[in-house]
Amino acid sequence: MFKSRLGGKLTLELDAAELDVLSQLFAQMADLLEDPESELEADPLAKLLNMSGSTQISEDPALARLFPDGYSDDEHASADFRRFTEQDLKAQKVVALDTARKSLKDWQGKSSITQQQALDWLKALNDLRLVLGTRLEITDERDRDYDSDEPGFHLYNYLTYLQGTLIDALT
Amino acid sequence: MSAMPVEDLAIDLMTDRPWITLVWNDPINLMTYVTYVFQSYFGYDKPKAELLMLDVHEKGRAVVSTGTREEMERDVAAMHSYGLWATLQKDD
Repeated sequence: MFKSRLGGKLTLELDAAELDVLSQLFAQMADLLEDPESELEADPLAKLLNMSGSTQISEDPALARLFPDGYSDDEHASADFRRFTEQDLKAQKVVALDTARKSLKDWQGKSSITQQQALDWLKALNDLRLVLGTRLEITDERDRDYDSDEPGFHLYNYLTYLQGTLIDALT
Repeated sequence: MSAMPVEDLAIDLMTDRPWITLVWNDPINLMTYVTYVFQSYFGYDKPKAELLMLDVHEKGRAVVSTGTREEMERDVAAMHSYGLWATLQKDD
């Protein structure tokens, strides 16, 4: 769990099982964000101009949730918006994810987290909940505290709890 | 010298800036998280951020900012970076 300390610093305390499960989930998240196909297809000039993003929303519901359309009523504007923003959005998600993974990689039983690192953790945990929640087809928030025996729901509830402790520590 | 009240000035600018950023309800983002994002990105105070969050939650969506198209594209991109489901459109 995250705890706030005097002076605006935060600490993160995890047991071995939590460390293991978070490391695995973040590694999967990195794979999901890597998306090798788009790298291969990227036109070098477009890449240079930072407009190598695709124009279509992903058919994978989890990626569609991480990279949604910018306009609800204008397909053409959505395509343009995506072309110019998606690469940057992806880069931001990778940065947040890398911060969280680095904290876990350098783990020494307990970790001190700066405010900037805390924001990255917050985004990385939220992205993870979005992906897992989409995969579990969570649709109704009144049923958020799922008590199903399926391991996915235990993980989801755990991530909800962990993100909750971080929000508490930050506010 | 008489200064124009800040509120009046804001309204004058608004009439010329007919684009809005909408945040849509979703079943995954935590209410406390959405409130936190509205506070930290838009600089809204907690009561305003909570009202907006409740609007999103109960009415399905809320207008969280108003401005030029470019400004709204920036806000939508920022909301996406936080994992919120946001879109922009012309204000009707």
